[in-house]
Amino acid sequence: MSLEIPTPLTVPRLRLRAVRLSEASFARLLVAPAVLAIVAVVAVPLAYSLWLSFTDVNLLRTNGAAIELFGMRLPLYRWVGLKNYLQVFSDPLYWDSLWRTLYFVGAFVIEATLVGLGVALVLNERFPGRPLMRSLLLVPWSLSRIVVGLLWIGILDFEFGAFNGYMQRLGLLTGSIAFFKDGFSALNVLVSVYTWNQAPFATLLFLAGMQSISEDLYAAAEVDGAGYWQRFRYVTLPALRPILFLVLVLCTVNAFLMLDLIYILTMGGPANETTTISWLGFQTSFAFFKFGPGTAILYTLTGLCLLVTFIYHRLILARFEPEG
Amino acid sequence: MATTAAARPRYRGGSYKARSTTSRALLYGLVFVVALWLIGPFIWLFVTSVSYQRNLLARPLPFVPPEITLQNYRMILGLVRFHAEGQAAKILPSMLNTLIVASVVTFVNLVVGTTAGYAYARFRFPLKTFSLFALLFTRMLPTIVLIPAFFVMFRALGLQNTLAGLVVAYCSFTLPFTVWIMKAYFETVPADLDKSALVDGCNRFQAYYRIVLPVSGPGLVAGGAFTFMLCWNEFVVAQVLNTKPGTTTLPPVIAAMNGQVNVDYSVIAASGFLGALPAVLLVLMFQKYMVQGLTAGSVKG
Repeated sequence: MSLEIPTPLTVPRLRLRAVRLSEASFARLLVAPAVLAIVAVVAVPLAYSLWLSFTDVNLLRTNGAAIELFGMRLPLYRWVGLKNYLQVFSDPLYWDSLWRTLYFVGAFVIEATLVGLGVALVLNERFPGRPLMRSLLLVPWSLSRIVVGLLWIGILDFEFGAFNGYMQRLGLLTGSIAFFKDGFSALNVLVSVYTWNQAPFATLLFLAGMQSISEDLYAAAEVDGAGYWQRFRYVTLPALRPILFLVLVLCTVNAFLMLDLIYILTMGGPANETTTISWLGFQTSFAFFKFGPGTAILYTLTGLCLLVTFIYHRLILARFEPEG
Repeated sequence: MATTAAARPRYRGGSYKARSTTSRALLYGLVFVVALWLIGPFIWLFVTSVSYQRNLLARPLPFVPPEITLQNYRMILGLVRFHAEGQAAKILPSMLNTLIVASVVTFVNLVVGTTAGYAYARFRFPLKTFSLFALLFTRMLPTIVLIPAFFVMFRALGLQNTLAGLVVAYCSFTLPFTVWIMKAYFETVPADLDKSALVDGCNRFQAYYRIVLPVSGPGLVAGGAFTFMLCWNEFVVAQVLNTKPGTTTLPPVIAAMNGQVNVDYSVIAASGFLGALPAVLLVLMFQKYMVQGLTAGSVKG
């Protein structure tokens, strides 16, 4: 491609600038601010957090070893080796939270993918008002999770929730359902509320994929006598495979990290029964200010996210998409 | 064929054959369910925000709200005195904080992230593949793992409880996204455009700044609106780093109101609706570009 470009020799009008950078150094100049910024706000804190997870962090301590730079004082905490990790792994609450997290992630990935795909199939049909419906897709997704939690409280609350109120109005319910009283039910409510927030984005991705499938394929399948589900199974689904992979990865990682909905809806309760790894790490770090064990928990979470991404990549992308 | 169609309603992506009545009814039914699911909860938030709490508590609940009031909005805007006005008085200042932080982060992202995205889309340079992988890695990274480090570092730097600290922290999760979205966008801008600019006597920077950037409005809007939305909605970082009253953003203030026993849900709903409105309107306004930019950025990533 670049070979077709006329060199300065073939273009006499070209005014030579005082400084002419090579392509590579110009590119480096453009990339430098972003790379430096990302190193400063991602890589450095990431490494410092890792360091904290191996130390006895004490936020109250003001004396002792520290790095002094330009009048700032960054305390150096004492290295304690794997103590924080061992302490975390010997805590039964950590393992309970881990299994609960895996349930949450599994349930959310299945629900969000199926709902996202189902809604995409409906919105891919032709009907009046389809552009409006596609706009509405963006509403749940563009809300702060605090507001998402808030509005679902308005629907699910035991006393003033719309769900209980309307169910009684329709005569389908005599008493009220307490969605957050039982831990397992609360966990499933979290899954569904998070699905409401996240599945629309999966739908957007699926719709983008469906629109790139040629109409001819459907016409040909129909000539061959394929019904709706056969066309879905043999035309739509194979074409959506890369997007399906992407949705699975995004849903899995997001589910591992979900925190703000727990904050607004359950606070990890009742009795730690909606405590996931991310909530446990958040609480340990910022409610009890035990940064050592807290960062250790958060680092195991990071490891899980990266592991899952890697596994998906090997399993799905490598096996089915050799060219992608 | 006719029997199977009757037994199992069929509808299809193409529309070159008319649908049967049953499949049309099924489709409209599904569309109605999807619409109710998508927008119903948000509409209900609005309905509660213009209701009195006593009417929300009515069992069974009437389908049409018996009274409509703007009292909840008057309370949170500080126009009426009520028992939780201390809480409500924080809404507007925290909205201003959120606006400042989100705007600055968006500006930084557009300047820094766009130039990097352009370079990634156009040029080959040493460590390009490596840094792209590093970028992907940071996108999969949980922001929460960075917060303890920010906490300790910001205390040392005096950035705790400042908006500048939030700007720095927010760049950690927005900047990798912006670079990625902009890279995907610039890949759709024909490279011949900058090449002909070079031929016409621009230097490389002018080709980018004067020729490519002005036609990149849709990409800038997509990246900018997405960044703004992420910052406007962010909760955990602001909640942890800016605990001093008056220094935090809107989501932590709303969450704190929700924790108060003596504040009516209808008042919280009003603040939630008011707080959600800017992001929702922004996204709806720029939806075309955002959907294009995000799907392109995601699918290629």
